[in-house]
Amino acid sequence: MLRFEATQLVLRHAENRPIVSNLGPTTDELWHAGHRDRNFYTYGNMGLCSSIALGMALSTEEKVISLDGDGSLLMNLGTIASIGREQPPNLVVVVWDNEEWAQTGHQSSHTAKGTDLEKVAQSCSIPRTATVNNLEDLEAVFCDALEQPGPWFIVAKIEETEYLPVAPIEPELTLYRFRKSFGA
Amino acid sequence: MSWTDIIVQGLKNWDTSLVAYVPDISIDRVTRLIDDDPFFHLVSASREEEAIGVAVGAYATGRNSAVFMQSSGFGNSINAIASLCIPARTPLPIFINLRGGPGEFNIAQVPMGRATRPILDTLGLVNFTLDDEYNMDKIVDGALKLCHANRQPVAICMTQLLHGGKLA
Repeated sequence: MLRFEATQLVLRHAENRPIVSNLGPTTDELWHAGHRDRNFYTYGNMGLCSSIALGMALSTEEKVISLDGDGSLLMNLGTIASIGREQPPNLVVVVWDNEEWAQTGHQSSHTAKGTDLEKVAQSCSIPRTATVNNLEDLEAVFCDALEQPGPWFIVAKIEETEYLPVAPIEPELTLYRFRKSFGA
Repeated sequence: MSWTDIIVQGLKNWDTSLVAYVPDISIDRVTRLIDDDPFFHLVSASREEEAIGVAVGAYATGRNSAVFMQSSGFGNSINAIASLCIPARTPLPIFINLRGGPGEFNIAQVPMGRATRPILDTLGLVNFTLDDEYNMDKIVDGALKLCHANRQPVAICMTQLLHGGKLA
């Protein structure tokens, strides 16, 4: 499964729900798949994608989608525990798991060597979890996650491929239009 | 009003209802007040940079937020502040128990405690230090006003002279 195709799938079903994207290719590919006011792109702060989504989920009743990555989550596994502690029913975490730090030279990540992020989520009391390896399974579980209470934690195994051009992200503008879409 | 009540009232005046924190004994009195008050949602983070992320997420959906931490935890959260709050222009009040001042008993707390304000200055972040309750209501209220006007984090450093510190 390619991350870009999976991102397009997520956008097809997300409607107007807020999405937070992890730094690097995840943010770039979300922008290429479809720029919208409800995309909260990050381009730094590695590890904080799902922490930001947690803060959103605690502050809106809408379903909030986090598009995180294995390398980034490994930097901040504590946020999985905090999600388990807070139990926001409206949070859907999707982890693009390529089992490597792709941008820094394709070094293998811990998920290639035995770490199972779904089991981490389960052990942190996250009630709805899945690991998927293809677009069909991702679509089924993601559509469930949009309808059923969570929190949800979906590990999507992806293959790394060529990168799309860097998206023209302006963090100040991202926050401004995202907030405006919530009436702030 | 006591320093704890001044902070709680200041947060309410600025409609700041989500507070993310990592526990600290010296400022436990104020975070406990926040936890007991239904106006607030207090989020316990496992690490200070995570608290920054949670607070920014709340603000992004239109809810004002603040964080509480110790100066050692400020050290843990520098990149989150530098690469998220500042580029996105996030008005985030950061309440810091400033270690390493008069009365410090722990050698390990001195370097980061002493470095906290110079780092804030280097990042260009406005910061205030509270040693006592004199004018504290005006300082806290004014800091929060400035924070939102400037749409950047503001640090409010609370020393042992204010809160009495941790008993050795």
